[in-house]
Amino acid sequence: MSRGSFLYGVWSLAIVSGFLAASIFGYSPFADGGRSAVVAGVYGPSHK
Amino acid sequence: MATEPPPLPPLTPVASAAAGPAPAVKSLACPNCGGTIELRAAGYTVTLICQYCSSVLDVANPDVQIITRYNEESQRLAIPLGTRGTLKGVEWEAIGFLRRSENGSYPWDEYLLFNPYHGYRWLVTDGRGWTFGTMLTAEPEPGFDGLRVGGEAYKSFFAHGRAQVDYVLGEFYWRVAVGEEVETADYVRPGWMLSFEGNAQERNWTLGELLDGNEAAFGFAMAPQRWRPGGRPPLAHQISPYAASAGTAFKLALAAVAALFVILLLFGGSRASKSYDFNVRSDAGAASATIGPITLDRAFQAVTISAQAPGLENAWVDLDYALVNRKTQESFEAYGIAERYSGRDSDGDWTEGDRSATTKLAMVPAGDYDLMVDASGQRWAYSGSNGSTVTITVASGGRFWSNFFLALILLIVPPIFMLWRHARFEAARMGESDQGSALASLISQDDDE
Repeated sequence: MSRGSFLYGVWSLAIVSGFLAASIFGYSPFADGGRSAVVAGVYGPSHK
Repeated sequence: MATEPPPLPPLTPVASAAAGPAPAVKSLACPNCGGTIELRAAGYTVTLICQYCSSVLDVANPDVQIITRYNEESQRLAIPLGTRGTLKGVEWEAIGFLRRSENGSYPWDEYLLFNPYHGYRWLVTDGRGWTFGTMLTAEPEPGFDGLRVGGEAYKSFFAHGRAQVDYVLGEFYWRVAVGEEVETADYVRPGWMLSFEGNAQERNWTLGELLDGNEAAFGFAMAPQRWRPGGRPPLAHQISPYAASAGTAFKLALAAVAALFVILLLFGGSRASKSYDFNVRSDAGAASATIGPITLDRAFQAVTISAQAPGLENAWVDLDYALVNRKTQESFEAYGIAERYSGRDSDGDWTEGDRSATTKLAMVPAGDYDLMVDASGQRWAYSGSNGSTVTITVASGGRFWSNFFLALILLIVPPIFMLWRHARFEAARMGESDQGSALASLISQDDDE
């Protein structure tokens, strides 16, 4: 296995581990909690 | 760079022990300078260059006549003639050196190696790597888009060229002279090159294996030599250093993505949901409701809040949530909106919005909670519905697809980068070929027009 492949293997392991930890603890940087209400003026359809 | 050598059982070296008695070393006196010269392959060698005065001697003639005298200065060779080294498990002695070029351009060096039991081999370099060449005794067979040798296919790379000898030193098995020209053609497969050289008198085929950078260096005690990115284009038969890495990376990426799906299935579900229905009217102000208790038993978990408003039409419902811990009064706030619009214009009927809204809270600690909901309905147009029943469902757990796609991007980007480097390497390699040159000239013509 080349050095690049090994490093990518470590990288993949880190990503999968991070995803597992986030799934166990219910974490997401994109969660809705704390988001403020939509400001006035953006209600309604954006159709045309 | 591991390459499988092609099976070459029918091919034998041009000169071998089987062809005759092992040649003996013989000493000669140079008729020009008087220096003592060793003839290492007596009986095979026909031309010998004096190492002291660079005179070319015809050793096939018993009188050893001087054919030509060179005035060029002797060069310092990477492998001094007479050096012995081991390649492919056989000890070879460098006995001849040629510097050749295409009409003075693209020079390369060829060392003639000799072993009394294995015959002659070539060690060829142009500074980007070493190729170990074995002369073939049979013509290659024609194949699709190239030639075949030992069951392996070789694609045409340089269809036609002309090589000339610019400098010569040492012993050879033919009468070599500066200025000697031959027609050339090269065919390649990764790690291997099949080279043709011929003129009106003879045709020669040589099968060259690209050596690992260290192999020739260790064999002949030289500094390692290998192609490096960013400099000259790769060799015609060079194996992409990125191909194996990219292939392995894609396999690892596939396994990692499969692991993501498994984790998503095992840990992404929601549990213990509670629902509450209430009517929201646009002319009656905000409606409030409290849903609870909601028990969260894990140390940390996501909380999913879903709202369904099936009666919405050209209206929306603002939903403010506060998930409050009964014990600590810690509050987690979030917001959602259910909306639905429709109409008709010159393109026909259209609809927009979603009557359901899903809101997810991240990392909520364990405890008993109440979900406090404030909902206010609004009409977008006079035709809008004046109210709708809103069903709020709250559950512990939930799938964050955003996490999944973020992980997917982080996993896929490196292999794509490796693939791009491999493609760039191959483009640079093929750019040197006749096809690449033809393409380049075609592009150049288009640019001129």
